[in-house]
Amino acid sequence: MQRRDFIKITAASGAVAALEGCGNPDHQLIRFVPEEELLPGIAAWKPSICTLCPAGCGTLVRVMQGEAEVVRNGQLGLLKMGLAKKIEGNPAHPINQGKLCPRGQAALQVTYHPDRIRTPLQRTGQRGSGQFKEITWDEAIKQLVGQLSPLLAAKQPGQFAIVTSPLKGQRRTVVSNFAAAFKASPIEFEFFDNAAVKAANQQSFGIAALPTADLAHSNYVISFGADFLGTWNAPVAQSIGYGEMRKGRAGQRGKFVQFESRVSQTGANADEWIACPLGAEGAVALSIAHVIVNEKLRPVLAGLDLADYVPEKIEKQFGVKAATITKIAREAAANSPAVALIGDAATAQTNGLFNARAVNALNASLGSVGKPGGVSFAPAATGRSAQSKEGSSLQSAGSAKVALLFNANPVFATPSASGAGDALGKIPFIASFGSFIDETSAVADLILPDHSPLESWLDDSPESGSTRTVVSLAPPAMAPLHNTRSMPDVLLDVAQQLGGDVAKALPWKTYDEAVKASFGQLYKEKGNKSTKDADEFWSNAQTQGGWWSADEKPATVTAKATGPLKYAEPQFDGNADQFPFHFLPFASQMFYDGSLAHLPWMQEAPDPTSSVMWGTWVEINTRTAEKLGVKMGDTVEVASQHGKLQAPALVTPAIAPDVIAMPIGQGHTNYTRYATGRGANPISILAPMTVEGTGSLAWAATRVKISRVGEGKIVMFGASMEELPAETKHR
Amino acid sequence: MSAQDSAAPPSPYDQESGVFTTEHRSVGDAVKEFFGRRTTPVQPIAYTHKVHLANGLQCVFCHAGVDQGPDARIPGVSVCMTCHQAIATDKPEIKKLAQYKANGQDVPWQRVYGFQPSAHVKFNHAPHIRAGVDCAKCHGDLHTMTVAERKVDHTMGFCIECHRQNNASVDCVTCHY
Repeated sequence: MQRRDFIKITAASGAVAALEGCGNPDHQLIRFVPEEELLPGIAAWKPSICTLCPAGCGTLVRVMQGEAEVVRNGQLGLLKMGLAKKIEGNPAHPINQGKLCPRGQAALQVTYHPDRIRTPLQRTGQRGSGQFKEITWDEAIKQLVGQLSPLLAAKQPGQFAIVTSPLKGQRRTVVSNFAAAFKASPIEFEFFDNAAVKAANQQSFGIAALPTADLAHSNYVISFGADFLGTWNAPVAQSIGYGEMRKGRAGQRGKFVQFESRVSQTGANADEWIACPLGAEGAVALSIAHVIVNEKLRPVLAGLDLADYVPEKIEKQFGVKAATITKIAREAAANSPAVALIGDAATAQTNGLFNARAVNALNASLGSVGKPGGVSFAPAATGRSAQSKEGSSLQSAGSAKVALLFNANPVFATPSASGAGDALGKIPFIASFGSFIDETSAVADLILPDHSPLESWLDDSPESGSTRTVVSLAPPAMAPLHNTRSMPDVLLDVAQQLGGDVAKALPWKTYDEAVKASFGQLYKEKGNKSTKDADEFWSNAQTQGGWWSADEKPATVTAKATGPLKYAEPQFDGNADQFPFHFLPFASQMFYDGSLAHLPWMQEAPDPTSSVMWGTWVEINTRTAEKLGVKMGDTVEVASQHGKLQAPALVTPAIAPDVIAMPIGQGHTNYTRYATGRGANPISILAPMTVEGTGSLAWAATRVKISRVGEGKIVMFGASMEELPAETKHR
Repeated sequence: MSAQDSAAPPSPYDQESGVFTTEHRSVGDAVKEFFGRRTTPVQPIAYTHKVHLANGLQCVFCHAGVDQGPDARIPGVSVCMTCHQAIATDKPEIKKLAQYKANGQDVPWQRVYGFQPSAHVKFNHAPHIRAGVDCAKCHGDLHTMTVAERKVDHTMGFCIECHRQNNASVDCVTCHY
């Protein structure tokens, strides 16, 4: 009998007295011998790393003895083991300094998810039918080796592909070395890739990395579309800095101005929120710079030609008032240090690279590049090089004979029009390391489930969020619950069995050996006198949650002269007459890029600005809605040239009248019991527009039309449908 | 798991463990707790405290951690087998024990004492041991028992009386928090 049945029975019949007589099945219960001896009732806090977004926050995991229902040797039973109970921020970690966002808190549910894949699976039905049978690890690895060894012998490029989320630390080394043996390089897939920001930094500063804004020491923050308090870059680190800027200094409160076309969670915090058309961010930024240079408000930079960006001209072109631009320029220059940020939709335009370079130029004219209170880069970031997407796009995986998938869900996170799903379908053999069946791994022939992050050896070197070198490290916080294996360990095992060059390229027996080797290297380069030897350095890093330098200066950067910044007109897919609205998908605070929609805590958490939970919504400006006859909660149809979807309308004045916005994350067709069939996926109707110069998806460059379908339902926290009319009145 | 093939062999993950919840082993258990009634535990092995104590074993040898934290450890099969690898291997109860070990299983001991969650009592062994409270004060004289029996009723009155006698705090939040 299951809990639910019990509740139903007792509720229906009150058969309490009868049930009391039920026998006690304790004697039939299998209890496995614990593998570790733990003192009951005593908690240990173990360092770990949050892997749910690329920020790389350090965490502490509360581990206590508990009882888990597990399968061992084909039998189901109870096992006393150390179980992770709570995740908090690691106070010693330089990125998040003891704080953690809601997504990081919910990371616990990845480990205990009821739909986790608990043992290797082999496809039995048609591709995508979701029919799999359980197999052993020996069989699974034998199959993979069998598929890979002919490719290794052939040594022809393009036959092997590995699609992963962006990897850092030794996972990247293991995966790239593995791929290199097949004359391939890993395809790192990410929806919010910030490629335009990185490419712009490469052109402006020679560093292809995300910037670290020193908000804590800034007096004036101008953000162009970046939801830096919610999801963009390193939101926890930025939120801490923002809090310091606002009220960390007695008698001094920094000002924050946001330019965007829809009030984001971050924009809602701004002192001044200025509506800015999509794609105009760069021009507006340069117009601010124009005022600073023209009025000689800051030491003038040589080689910056801004004659095209006179505020009056910008006002005529984009509707952003010249008086506002001038005022902000004067304020920012007077309240030095000031800093400008750009991200999200402002860089997901066809002219995203121009916009990002324009903001770099604004930072240069404000004199805040590489200065306290300005933008800096972590020393490690200098070694990175810009990756052009064009050479290693998903489409290039289409010709492969064998593809491996890890933590990437391109079928969900690429527009249907881009054909990534079809490309994958043509690959004869696909193996996935996923912990869950999702839209992409549903087509896999073999599933080799990875440990959950809490059960794995983790290492990471965050790109942004701190100006010091940070190398995070975490041993497993708990023993694996299920019959899973860590992805790099499987690759190492496969490499050994394949032998030859692959085995030579991956000399480690286990992944922790590989991580230890990298820490041995780090000790040689950076270890100081306080640690006796590499072993002590390694064990200290394990207890602390990694290694970070104590007194390092940020990377030295100077703005490079990049020639004139010629305005690049943004291109939008769809005719303005037929498709009158700009379509603005945005990162969901709860689901990030959709990869966290399977966590019920994230589903039930209300969105911070709209308070919608368990669903998607379409944000429409109050006046636009009036014209279209759309009321709060009505079902509307949003259609682009490439598809259409339906979702309830959220009528709000906090969005430009010509913009329709939708959160990304819901609309999964196959992603566990919690996310499947819930809401709609805005990515599916996007046009395959690309950012000029980087080749990455310009996800805010699609035009749509919208029409009312009928009455609908929107689930909001603390507001039932009956209360909504009153609430709309206040809005 | 949604991914099940009808032709595929049944997965152990789809078995019923027979456990109602990890907190309540059976429906009856849950109902009894709801009504504040306690089951008389039936132990899988007729472990004799009497013999072990007579042979000079101390309580903490098996119930380790009692002086360090809230709960005492209930010894698993590995603890028992450190001695019973060699001692009294011919006795039927020890054979049962050896069988568990051979099957790679732990002994499914049942709880004898313990507060019900609805009582909101947070009991911690360690300070009581530090204060020199004899184990027998709360658990009865185990020298005379085979399997542990609930000889002492842990009512609030019982706790308070002892706390008063020993000048320990009787503030509500000492135990209920």
